[in-house]
Amino acid sequence: MKLYKLVAKDVVRRKKRVLYAALGVVIGTMTVVGILTIALAGQERITVQLEKYGPNLSVVPAISNLDMKLGNLSLGTLTVGENYISADKIPQMQQIADEEIRMGFASQGIRFQDDGGNIATLAPKLFVNTKVEGISTMVVGIQPEAEIKIKTWWKIKEGEYIQKQDQAIVGTVAASLLQLKVGSPISINGDKLTIAGILHETGANDDYQLFIPIDTLQKAFNKEGLVSSIDIRALCNACPAETIADALNKEIAGIRAVAVKQIAETEMGMLEKINRFMIAMAIITLAVGLFGVINTMMTSVHERIKDIGIMRAVGASRNQIIKIFIYEALIIGIIGGILGYIVGSVLAYIIGPLLLEGTTVHYVPIYFPVALGLAILVAILATTYPSFLATRIRVADSFRSL
Amino acid sequence: MLEVKNASKIYGGDTNKVVALDNVSITVNKGDFIAVMGPSGSGKSTLLNIIGGLDQLSSGEVILDGKRIDNLSENDLVDIRRGKLAYVFQQYHLLASLSALENVLLPLTFGGLNGGNERALEMLVKVGLGKRADHKPSQLSGGEQQRVAIARALVNTPQLILADEPTGNMDQKTGNEILSLFDGLNREGHTIIMVTHDPDVARHAKEIVFLRDGQVVDRVTQ
Repeated sequence: MKLYKLVAKDVVRRKKRVLYAALGVVIGTMTVVGILTIALAGQERITVQLEKYGPNLSVVPAISNLDMKLGNLSLGTLTVGENYISADKIPQMQQIADEEIRMGFASQGIRFQDDGGNIATLAPKLFVNTKVEGISTMVVGIQPEAEIKIKTWWKIKEGEYIQKQDQAIVGTVAASLLQLKVGSPISINGDKLTIAGILHETGANDDYQLFIPIDTLQKAFNKEGLVSSIDIRALCNACPAETIADALNKEIAGIRAVAVKQIAETEMGMLEKINRFMIAMAIITLAVGLFGVINTMMTSVHERIKDIGIMRAVGASRNQIIKIFIYEALIIGIIGGILGYIVGSVLAYIIGPLLLEGTTVHYVPIYFPVALGLAILVAILATTYPSFLATRIRVADSFRSL
Repeated sequence: MLEVKNASKIYGGDTNKVVALDNVSITVNKGDFIAVMGPSGSGKSTLLNIIGGLDQLSSGEVILDGKRIDNLSENDLVDIRRGKLAYVFQQYHLLASLSALENVLLPLTFGGLNGGNERALEMLVKVGLGKRADHKPSQLSGGEQQRVAIARALVNTPQLILADEPTGNMDQKTGNEILSLFDGLNREGHTIIMVTHDPDVARHAKEIVFLRDGQVVDRVTQ
């Protein structure tokens, strides 16, 4: 008979006590798993938004009244009327943005391949509300190469991306409203164009819009040199979007630059504060759970003074007694870890959306080994002192105490 | 084989001093069957615990096979318990979660010997419990539990069996069955020291040591 079999039999006999001890572990692990899962879901939501609504900056005319929304992030308002930005200002914006990025990298000591060319991507847009196939439609003039760099989430469902000046792509909702297919001819204020492709659903305004090259749109409506807004994508997360926005606002009159990141960062900052508070709570819960398990294990030692005495009398060494307690701790840890992970994930699934609006929580498989490890650690920590006490018991005393 | 020299055991401090053993000396030879008798509080159980290393002496020596064992560390005592000595207690002291067979296996388990099922079963057959090997202690009568405890004591072929009131919890008939088991073991050459307060039980031994107030007051060979 192996020692672990002896422990297993004993655990089966005292299953209520063992489950009670595991409960302490479950409460601690559950809280940690639940909080980590919710925190991750919250961060993912913001990261996804940042990734999706990627242009780090949006430049609009200073006077505007149309709500610009990217997902849950408000970018202020924009007028589609006669308020435009002159395309002449674009090179200056490019220069300011590039300069700020270079300075930002230099101040952080980051080296990068700088060929002196453009770093930021500027995607100017012209919005024109006009009738397409007899239906009022928002037609967006874009620079195809710049736009696709900014809208990294754009995927072509059918056909291909704009290759020529007389091609257009259309959002999925607009395509079905206007009954457009790949190859359909359209007329924009008299100009003939062909539908090159249809976009996958984006969940944003893009679904309702028709995109054509900006030059074509400007010509068709006699708006040469005018743009409605400019999206600017800097390089990375470390880029000083706010600084760029400040510089643009200071140096160029008649425009308003907003950093998308600023909005996201505010949200992320809030989330981090909440996370830190919740992790503190989790640590407290874990500590309370630890003491719960220590308490239960102490009771377990007292209950088993006689058994320990018997085992010592028939030849168990102190190390073997410690091993018996560690095996028991392992069992408690494994049970506690598994239950803690399950209960924690379920709790996160239920509570997550209540805490962070619009967040969907998924169970996180990587947290399972984390939970298990944590639970076993807590169980073994809690067993150390009680098992040490158990080895101090003198055999004769253990029988006498009865 | 066993010699106890000037053994004294004092419990408590200066004000509430209890002398459990007072300068006791006895010699046990191989093959002996000694009964230690005396009223309760005479120190007979203390003597047995000290011989077995379950309790520590205040002064004196215990020598087993020419080696002092009274001053051994806990780890060295483990070696003695794993081969030279075995106990049979009044309360049987079986582990409730294990079957009869597993209880008998316990000394082998702690001795690091895996398997040994045949040996353990052999011992159960020897004490007449071959058919109840799978029963838990709670499913066995007092006499049967004590048989399991005796089988457990025998499984390591100890040189010396220490029995503390082994029939104390039994009716006379069951007690006699257990005692005849001890008689048989002694005939096979096992050395036995048995503590009892019952003269009928002591009659089974070859020699009786009388204790009173922690001192040996008489030795009778029968």
